[in-house]
Amino acid sequence: MYTAWTVKHKPHSLPEVVGNSNAIQKLSKWVKSWEKGVPKKRAAFLYGPPGVGKTVSVETLANDFSMELVERNASDYRTAEAVEKFAGLASQYGTLYGRRRLILLDEMDGITGTADRGGVRAAIQVIKEARCPVVLVANNAYDPRFSTLRRYCLLIEFTKPTVLQIIKHLKTICEHEGIEADDQVLKFIADRSGRDVRSAVNDLQALAQGRKRLAYEDASWLAERDRKEAIFKVLQTIFYSGDVWEAKRALDAADVDPDMLFEWIYENVPRHFTDPHDLANAMDALSLADVYRGRIRSTQDWSLLKYVFDFMTAGVAVARERSKLGGWIPFRFPERIRIMGQTKGLRAMQSSIGMRIKRRCHISSVRAIREVIPYLQIIFESNAEMAAGLSRWLDLDEDMVNYLAGGEKQASAIMKRMG
Amino acid sequence: MSFEMWTEKYRPQSLDEMVNQKEIVERLESFVDARNIPHCIFAGPPGTGKTTAALCLAHDLYGDGWREHLLELNASDERGINVVRETVKTFARTRSIGEIPFKIMILDEADNMTGDAQQALRRTMERFTETCRFILICNYSGKIIEPIQSRCAPFRFSHLRREDHDDYLQSIIKKENVKMSHGGLEAIFEICEGDLRKAINTLQAAASLRREIDTETVYSVVGRANPADVQEMMKLAMKGDFIEARKRLRDMIVRYGVAGSDIIRQIHIEIFRSALPDKWKIKLADVIGEIDFRMTQGASEEVQLSALLARLGEAGHEIERGS
Repeated sequence: MYTAWTVKHKPHSLPEVVGNSNAIQKLSKWVKSWEKGVPKKRAAFLYGPPGVGKTVSVETLANDFSMELVERNASDYRTAEAVEKFAGLASQYGTLYGRRRLILLDEMDGITGTADRGGVRAAIQVIKEARCPVVLVANNAYDPRFSTLRRYCLLIEFTKPTVLQIIKHLKTICEHEGIEADDQVLKFIADRSGRDVRSAVNDLQALAQGRKRLAYEDASWLAERDRKEAIFKVLQTIFYSGDVWEAKRALDAADVDPDMLFEWIYENVPRHFTDPHDLANAMDALSLADVYRGRIRSTQDWSLLKYVFDFMTAGVAVARERSKLGGWIPFRFPERIRIMGQTKGLRAMQSSIGMRIKRRCHISSVRAIREVIPYLQIIFESNAEMAAGLSRWLDLDEDMVNYLAGGEKQASAIMKRMG
Repeated sequence: MSFEMWTEKYRPQSLDEMVNQKEIVERLESFVDARNIPHCIFAGPPGTGKTTAALCLAHDLYGDGWREHLLELNASDERGINVVRETVKTFARTRSIGEIPFKIMILDEADNMTGDAQQALRRTMERFTETCRFILICNYSGKIIEPIQSRCAPFRFSHLRREDHDDYLQSIIKKENVKMSHGGLEAIFEICEGDLRKAINTLQAAASLRREIDTETVYSVVGRANPADVQEMMKLAMKGDFIEARKRLRDMIVRYGVAGSDIIRQIHIEIFRSALPDKWKIKLADVIGEIDFRMTQGASEEVQLSALLARLGEAGHEIERGS
């Protein structure tokens, strides 16, 4: 039978809840205070991003304190009868059997539009008459709709747990399920979830159920796919929306590395801006974005980053004036990054020769690569004797001589003269 | 045949051996006479003797053991703030042994230092003036922050004059027994534009071919040392093949390490040599100048230069349509 791990591995008592210990402590203290009579605030309003454990905290708290949990969510707030019936429950001190009640109004964000305006009013009504703790849960307590409601509530913020806390939780689940999982893969899942515990557990289940071992390779394809999809979406918007705001928002909305995105835009602009005038303007926008990147680099003033974003998104978007909208043109992986990867060995060689030159010639290794190596290559290719002398003087090793000589035969002639 | 780079073998050791920058050398010699120097900025184009002047100054000031009183750092290799915090400070704060109470710190290519590092340097310069004098070397003094500039005596180095250039190369030619035609020397000056390092490297590479150096030899050496076929790249761009043009550009920069400033200089020359309508030459000069400036500010030379290629494509398109 399929059971969701989010349910199967739900915490049973408060210490098992991932993160938010301060918020949970505040909540338990407030619930305990009811034992000494009705407190000033009859309701607690838990708010915070999805999947951080708001609802589950309330449920485990009820369990730990052996209270009866009465739970309602968005769909129940609509009709007048439901609210009244509910208010009735809340106004009673306890259950017939002496267990105390805890009222949970979940998914308050679900109350939408004018049709539901009664919902918030009804909630206030419930709170006003409550004789037992009422807990409200929403993502955003500062929504204007809740302005009156907030006055009656103790506000408790839930924040995202740390990646480490999530990893620990995932580890516990793996132990229970008898799965051996790499730390790396758990970290990857935790990172990818955006620190949403529920989504992390769902991902873990999708990847690991039925396995004995879970390695990073089993999950890494997800990363590649995520990145590409996110980048494609942003590119599509920047290249074709023609809208400054949408283009800017596309970057905000997507969780992609801006430097990487810049490379993708830079690679693909010429394939999508086919009119020479449009292309020149789009490239001009990227050039300006790059100027701000340079200024950030030299001043370390990161507040300039917003201008980089302006030009690489909106600046490119408005460049489209005459280019035809052809059919679907696939987005290509940045060639520049591929080449940098391919030429890594070459550049490492140049840079180590550059360092040797620097030691002798009072110039930076960067400059040596540009201004000295090309001449050395000519000398090494055509004059073994001079090359041998220079190799000794610069203290070059065999690989370096090989590189500069451009061929085995000449290199060995040089090496022979070096002795 | 000699076994050193000639740029080092024939680098002047003391100020009186320097052939150019007469006014600067005179002022530096007066520092030596006074046995005291202020913080200095040496600014000017490459290969005009900035580093040499700094080394000579140290040599003349301290005599034989001069190297012990000197630290040479290159900001292109060590540009971050940590270098200033650690290496520079450690060197600057300890007192020098000997009759001259301060040491000299040469910061080469200082225009490549980050703003942060420059700020840190400014404080270090102030605190340790007693024990250490700084010589900052750069191509553009504009990239040095104002507070540092105001603490330094500025020296502006200019391109070598033709006579100085020829004299210097002639003395090397004589000592190394190189056969050189008159045209060869002229070609070197024309191509290297008074950049003595480039000129001497060209001379040594040409000499390694073991034949008389004439105009043709010089051009073939320089051509091989600068494999950038800028002309071909421009043609592709103007024809509208931006993607291929950009690929060529990338090869020059990534595979051959050609400097963006060299590429744009060549583009500028080619535009005026070309058969484009005069009106367009001027329009494009404006674009080239703008991109040249942005390159000094920006992060990636390739991005800047390909923006220029796209403008060339736009120009090519409009010229074709006859506007």
